[in-house]
Amino acid sequence: MANLRIRDLVKTYDKTQVLHSINLDIDDGEFVVLVGPSGCGKSTTLRLVAGLEEVSNGTIEIAGRVVNNLEPKDRDIAMVFQNYAIYPHMTVRKNIGFGLRSSKASKAEKDKRLESVAELLGMTEYLDRKPSQLSGGQRQRVAIGRAMVRDPAVFLFDEPLSNLDAQLRTQMRLEIKKLHQRVGSTIVFVTHDQVEAMTMADRIVIMKDGDIHQIGTPAEVYHKPANIFVAQFIGAPSMNMIPGRVTGDGTIELATGGGLAFERSLPEGREIILGIRPEDLHPGQASGVIEGSVNVREPLGHETLIYVGTSNGDVIAKADGRTPPEIGETVQLGADPENLHIFDAATGEALA
Amino acid sequence: MKLYRDLTIRQKKIVWAWGFLAIPVLFYCVVRFYPTGNAILISFQDWNLLGARTWTGLDNYKKLFGDPVFWKVFKNTFVYLLLGTPVSLVISFVIAYHLDKIRFMHGFLRMLYFLPFMTSAVAMAWVWRWFYQPVPIGLFNNFLASIGIPQISFLNSTSNALPSILAPAVWAGLGFQIIIFMAGLRAIPKSYYEAARIDGVSTWTVLWEITLPLLKPTIVFIVVFSSIGFLRIFDHVYNMTTQNPGGPLNATKPLVLMIYQTAFSSFDMGYAAAQTVVLFLVLLAVSLLQLRIMRDR
Repeated sequence: MANLRIRDLVKTYDKTQVLHSINLDIDDGEFVVLVGPSGCGKSTTLRLVAGLEEVSNGTIEIAGRVVNNLEPKDRDIAMVFQNYAIYPHMTVRKNIGFGLRSSKASKAEKDKRLESVAELLGMTEYLDRKPSQLSGGQRQRVAIGRAMVRDPAVFLFDEPLSNLDAQLRTQMRLEIKKLHQRVGSTIVFVTHDQVEAMTMADRIVIMKDGDIHQIGTPAEVYHKPANIFVAQFIGAPSMNMIPGRVTGDGTIELATGGGLAFERSLPEGREIILGIRPEDLHPGQASGVIEGSVNVREPLGHETLIYVGTSNGDVIAKADGRTPPEIGETVQLGADPENLHIFDAATGEALA
Repeated sequence: MKLYRDLTIRQKKIVWAWGFLAIPVLFYCVVRFYPTGNAILISFQDWNLLGARTWTGLDNYKKLFGDPVFWKVFKNTFVYLLLGTPVSLVISFVIAYHLDKIRFMHGFLRMLYFLPFMTSAVAMAWVWRWFYQPVPIGLFNNFLASIGIPQISFLNSTSNALPSILAPAVWAGLGFQIIIFMAGLRAIPKSYYEAARIDGVSTWTVLWEITLPLLKPTIVFIVVFSSIGFLRIFDHVYNMTTQNPGGPLNATKPLVLMIYQTAFSSFDMGYAAAQTVVLFLVLLAVSLLQLRIMRDR
C-alpha cells in the first residue's frame, strides 16, 4: 500500500520527446486509469514507473521514496502485461511462484501465499496445468496471480484486457474491480478503451501526445470535459461538435443555422464550438435548435441512433427505440441547456 | 474435361495437389530413391565399376565387420560427432546470446560470423593447413615459438590431428548456427524478460529457466542438423591431409572418406556400397534418437 507521485516527468528517445512534463498524484489504494489513443505516452508512463525504461527528467516517488534509479525489483511494484508474459513451459504453480523467486520468505510461507492467491482467483484446481491448457481468462488470472503473490505497494496493468474477446473483457473488468475492492492496493491501469476507463477507475487520466489533458473522476471527465479532445474521446458515440459564434444579445448562432440562448455571458463575436452528446440530443422537442433530415438509423433496441444531415455534416442524436423517425423525415433536435458544452474554437479549451 | 468438372471441390484440390507434387516426386524417385535402392542392391554384389556385377550375398558386410580399419573409422566418425556437436552448440549459443544484446555494429558483426559459412571449405581447409605448419611457416607454431612454448605437431600427430581438423569444421558451421540461434532468441517475447526483471530473478535464472527452455525447438534443429553434418564430414579432412588422406595412420579418417577411397581408389563398389548402407543406418538412428529425446513431452 502506497501513494505514487510523479513530478515533471519527461521521457525522450534520441531526439523525440514522448512525454512532456507529466505531473500526477495517486493516493494510497486508488484505482487510476491512464487512457488515450495509441502513442499518447500512457504505456511509456507505466513502464517508467515500473523501471523498465529510464527516466529522462523529473521524479517518480513510490511511498515517499524516489525510485528513479532503483531496479524494478526494488520498487515494490508488480506488473501485468498485455500478452500476460506467463511462461508456456511452466505450470500455473511455477508461473505464479516465479513472482516469489527473489523473496526471502521460507518455502512454507511461499507455498501458503501461493495457495491463498490461487484460491482468491479461483485457480486452485488449475495449479498443475500448463498455460496452453487454460482459457484466455484463466491465463489472465495467472498473470494477475503472479503479480499478487508479490504483495506489492503498487499494481501496474498494461492493457491487460485487450487480448480477450468482448464478453470475457467485460467479465475480467468486473473481476479486477472486485479484486481491487477486496485487496485495496494502489492500481495504475493503462488502456485505450474509454469504456474500461469509465467503468473501472476511481480517477481517469486522459493523455494525448505525451501530455495529460484532464484528470478527474469518471463523472467529471464525462460531464465536464476540459477540452474538445477529452469531450470526443470519452463517451460513445462521440460528442457532436458544431461551430458557432456569440452574437450581440448573448445568444449563439450555429453554423447549422438557428440560434440558441445561452445563460453564461461570453464576449460578442467570439468563435466557439458547441458540443452536445448524442444522448442529450433528441428529436421532436419544442426548443429545437438543429433541423435536418434523417440519413441513417442505427437501431440498438432500447434506443435508435439517428444521423441527421445538416448544412454542417451529420449530427448524431438519440431517438426512441420503438418509434424512431423515418429515413428522410425532417426532425427538430433539441437539448437541455445544462447539457451543452462550449469550447473555444481556437484553443479547444472548455469555456465555463 | 467433363470428368474434372463433376469432381467435388475436395477431389479437385487433390487433383491439383498431385499435379504439382508430380515433379518433385519424379525428381525424388530418379535422383534419390533409385540410387538409394541401387546402392543397397550393390552392397550385396561384387562390382569394379566396369565388369559384370556378381552376387556375393552378405560377404561385403562380413568383410566390413571384420575390417579393423572400418572400426577405427567408425570410432573417428563418432569422435567428430560427439566433440563437434556440443562444442559448436555451446560456442554458437554463447556468441548468439551476446551478439543479440549488442546494438553497436550489429549487422557487421553478424556478417563477420556468417562469412566462414559462405567460404569454400577447400580454400578454408588449405588456409588452416598453413596455420598448422611447423616453424617457420605455420602461424600457430610461430606464435608459440615466439612466446617460448615448444611447437606442437598439429596434423602429423595421431592424437592431435583429429581435433585440429575438427576446429575449422566447427568454425565453418558457426555462422549458420548463430543465425538460427539469434532468430530463436528474437522469437521470445520481450515481456517475458521484463516480467522476470520485475520479479527480480537473476540473469542466470532467466537464462536457465526462461531462455533455454523456450529455445528448445531451435536447439533440437541445430543438434540434428550439425550432427548430420559431422557424421558426413569429408572435405575438411580430405583437403587437410591430401598427401595421405585420412592419415596419419587413419587417425582422422571419417566414414565418408573411407567410402570414397574404397569406391574411387580401389574400385570396390560392392564394399563401398556396404559402408554407405551402414552410414545411412547410423545417420537414421542418430537423427531418430535425437528427435525422440528432445521431443516436447
